[in-house]
Amino acid sequence: MSTGAAADAQALLRCRLSDPRFSLSPSPSPDSNYSKLKFILSNSIFESCNNSVLLLGPRGCGKTTVLELVLRKLQTDHPDRLSVVRLNGLLHSDDRCALKEIVRQLCTDHQLIFSKMASCDDNSQFMLSMLRECALAHKAIIFVLDEFDLFTPGKQRLLYSLLDAMQSVQSQAVVVGVSCRLDADQLLEKRVRSRFSHRKLLFLPPSMEDLQRLLRQILFLPTDSSFRHSDFAVKFNAKLSVIFNGEGFIDILNSVVGVDNSVSHLLNFLFCAVCNMDSGSGFLSLGSFKSAMLSVQRQLKLESLQDVSILELYILVCMKRLEAKDCGSYNFNSIMKEYKGLQDASQTGAYYSRQVCLRAFEHLLECELVGFTDNNRGQSLSIEFRAVVLLISSHELYQGLRSSRNCPDILLQWFDRENPKSHAY
Amino acid sequence: MGDSETVVKTPIRVTRSSSSSTTTTTTTTPKQNSPQKPKPGSRSLKNTKASFSDYLLFPKPITLDQLYSSYPCRKAQIDELLHLIGPPNSPMKPIFIYGRPSSAKTSVLLHVFKHLNRPFVYSSCKSCYNPRLLFESVLNQVFFHGKQSTNNYASAKRCEKASDFMNFLREALVHTIATIRENQRPKGSKNSLNCGAGEMIYLIFDNVEMIRDWDSGLALVSVLFKMGDLLKMPELGLVFISSASLDSFYGNTGLMELVPVFFPSYTDEELYQIFMRGQPNPKLYSSFLGVVLKTLCRLTKRVDELSVALVPLFRKYCEPLSDLRVIPDEAMKRKLFSCLQPHIMPSLNQVFKVESGTIVETNKEKEKRKGILRKQGSGETVYEVDFQMSDSAKYLLISAFIASKNPATLDAALFDSTGGSDNRKRKRKSSVTSIEKKDQAAQEMLLKGPGTFPLERLLAIFQCITSVTDGPIEREQVEDGLTEEVGSCGLMSDVLLQLSTLCNANFICKGGSCPLEGSTRYRATIDEDMVMKIARSVNFPLAKYLYRR
Repeated sequence: MSTGAAADAQALLRCRLSDPRFSLSPSPSPDSNYSKLKFILSNSIFESCNNSVLLLGPRGCGKTTVLELVLRKLQTDHPDRLSVVRLNGLLHSDDRCALKEIVRQLCTDHQLIFSKMASCDDNSQFMLSMLRECALAHKAIIFVLDEFDLFTPGKQRLLYSLLDAMQSVQSQAVVVGVSCRLDADQLLEKRVRSRFSHRKLLFLPPSMEDLQRLLRQILFLPTDSSFRHSDFAVKFNAKLSVIFNGEGFIDILNSVVGVDNSVSHLLNFLFCAVCNMDSGSGFLSLGSFKSAMLSVQRQLKLESLQDVSILELYILVCMKRLEAKDCGSYNFNSIMKEYKGLQDASQTGAYYSRQVCLRAFEHLLECELVGFTDNNRGQSLSIEFRAVVLLISSHELYQGLRSSRNCPDILLQWFDRENPKSHAY
Repeated sequence: MGDSETVVKTPIRVTRSSSSSTTTTTTTTPKQNSPQKPKPGSRSLKNTKASFSDYLLFPKPITLDQLYSSYPCRKAQIDELLHLIGPPNSPMKPIFIYGRPSSAKTSVLLHVFKHLNRPFVYSSCKSCYNPRLLFESVLNQVFFHGKQSTNNYASAKRCEKASDFMNFLREALVHTIATIRENQRPKGSKNSLNCGAGEMIYLIFDNVEMIRDWDSGLALVSVLFKMGDLLKMPELGLVFISSASLDSFYGNTGLMELVPVFFPSYTDEELYQIFMRGQPNPKLYSSFLGVVLKTLCRLTKRVDELSVALVPLFRKYCEPLSDLRVIPDEAMKRKLFSCLQPHIMPSLNQVFKVESGTIVETNKEKEKRKGILRKQGSGETVYEVDFQMSDSAKYLLISAFIASKNPATLDAALFDSTGGSDNRKRKRKSSVTSIEKKDQAAQEMLLKGPGTFPLERLLAIFQCITSVTDGPIEREQVEDGLTEEVGSCGLMSDVLLQLSTLCNANFICKGGSCPLEGSTRYRATIDEDMVMKIARSVNFPLAKYLYRR
């Protein structure tokens, strides 16, 4: 019984966390972005006017989610009065491609046959006539342009034709741009900008109190009849409140929010915590939040430093020494020279041949602890001669050496000593 | 053995590819122009079912214990993956698996799916080396489409743009998920083995780090990472595998809601465990590993490289033994160790026999070529060139190397008719002017790499060294004579042909043209050991002609 309840609880929580609509359920207050956006959209639907609006704000703050909620609400309330065309800057930044996609979506919406072979001109004609027809039928077309800033490079023909079409009284459309660049409207060309109504909605990351409210809203199980195991839910919620009020949890939450205070980051963190839920008892514990924090906040460079072999550490230390000497650019040959000099001076350990070192060096390039300074691919020099640079700071390297399990002492000495005897070779 | 990890990987792909090639035309091939057009009735539920399990499932699921026992050192990662993927029908966030090469990322993940027995689509960005191939490989699998002779080995859909890919994929996934649902419903208790499948479908993208090097790769990466948001299908699970960590993808891709899973490389103890698996004589092998593993681990921690390096060493270790089943005691261990010890150090140089999985800049053919050469060169104890090359090509290569290595001002002194050796001595004496200058020059040489030279200089050196050497050059001279009868132009074209061959093979590379002279400059990319071997094979005293500081 208990394991069944735990599994149900986990499934419920996972569903909640992967559905962004749950976490951003609309707030009824009139100055929330939801109400504002809904007002703008329904206004242009029922007053049959054209409109354009930009939703701006950092990533993960619910711009798209709020928009989707509004659209869903409007679509369920007035299914015949609007049709939505969704474009994404990642996919449709090309004008032709975007027009084709607009026509395709309009065709599927209105049960028309979409021709793949239609030219760009045909498509744009079709779009204009569709706009006219829809306006006659009192139907608004809502263009959603996600990643709006990616539509701006180039000629902006698509944006121009969309906004230009909306200058006429014969059409009834709204262009909704969603972007994480706050200066998105400054990216527009003059002719486009002048046709754009400068209506902007700003989305801000939630405050700490909001996040804590959200946390409770998401994680507390419903104790009413919607969840089958109500006894379990009561126990679960009681345990959770104890954790939430504890000192340890506040620290964890502060550190997670301190890195990134967007909702999606919090959801990610909670998802990890729910996945780490203790399968035996079925309750969330402080430990699961702790491990979730560790898996969300990773020390990537330190991790890859722990993975390198000792020879690779030698090479890294040699590179660090070369950088400390400040002798300009250096390449594998200079590293080998440094390595040989150090090896001669210290007389310890095995000396590895050039070829072995080169292979270790290639490994380092592969895991991106070391990078080439020149990025032009056309250059035909072999690896040994290309100038390289260390991609980790010397402090990170030091930490890596200290935490490495079997780092030889001599390496730490090499790292620390600025001018070893071998300097005068 | 360590290579069991790579071995287990291969049968999966073999079964998958063979199953796709053996499936009949009655699978849901959307190609209408295929000669054996599937009859409408033949696309019955049974057939779709067969193709569904053929394409998206492993034939035989494994138990959790089998999973743990085949990867003894990966329990934490397996658990983490199982937790993140979760019970059937539960939505998940995209997972990003990363770790160094040869840390069993792909094989663990595929085995996890084998255990879960859920439908998945696997495509590797290494074999699908451009966006079109990648898109079509995913679509083929989701459409249950096999490339075969009846459809001219065509893909299910032709798809080059990411926007088309999204549309096709959405369409295909809707259909596939419906198929999976249909498959689920009539089952009940009777077919309990397949019940774990659930209604989710998982897309796995391997070697995602390669995409960054493609044209507009970062945009494609962000499309893939955001695929869940773009498609808005809770039934879709995404898993990405990469050898580069997540921070190297933060370009202009912005926020990514990926859950990272790290596969650390194996520690020494774990490597010991891995190599001890499946040994016929564990005692003997354990004593062997105790001797060599520590030393080798200082060089590399990669299982694939280590396993190749261990084989010849173990053969050496066993040489004094008559019976391999013997259980060694202390005295014997000591004896065996003393036999092996002289071989350990030289063997360290042979670790290079493994071609690395990803060469850093794969688009650079030359480095690949050099890797192969190095591999061949260091593997052989006999100093011989392993590949066939005409004598004139060899001389051309030698002269290119000389031209790259020596400063142009020395040519006159080296190739004077009085002979190379005492000229060189004189030169040497005169070059001892100031130590500092020499150091600086050496430093510059190290940084700059091989020098460039115009074609005329190469040809001049080529003619000099072919006329100086005797013996095997007889043939060359005959050839010269022959061509001289035709005219000097003939010789030129012949050598130029050889030169272009060598350029194509990346032994010599064409550099940019000199801004002053306007002619193309060349550069020898071959390393010194290799040239020494070539010179030895034609009995050419190369050392005499090299200028050393």
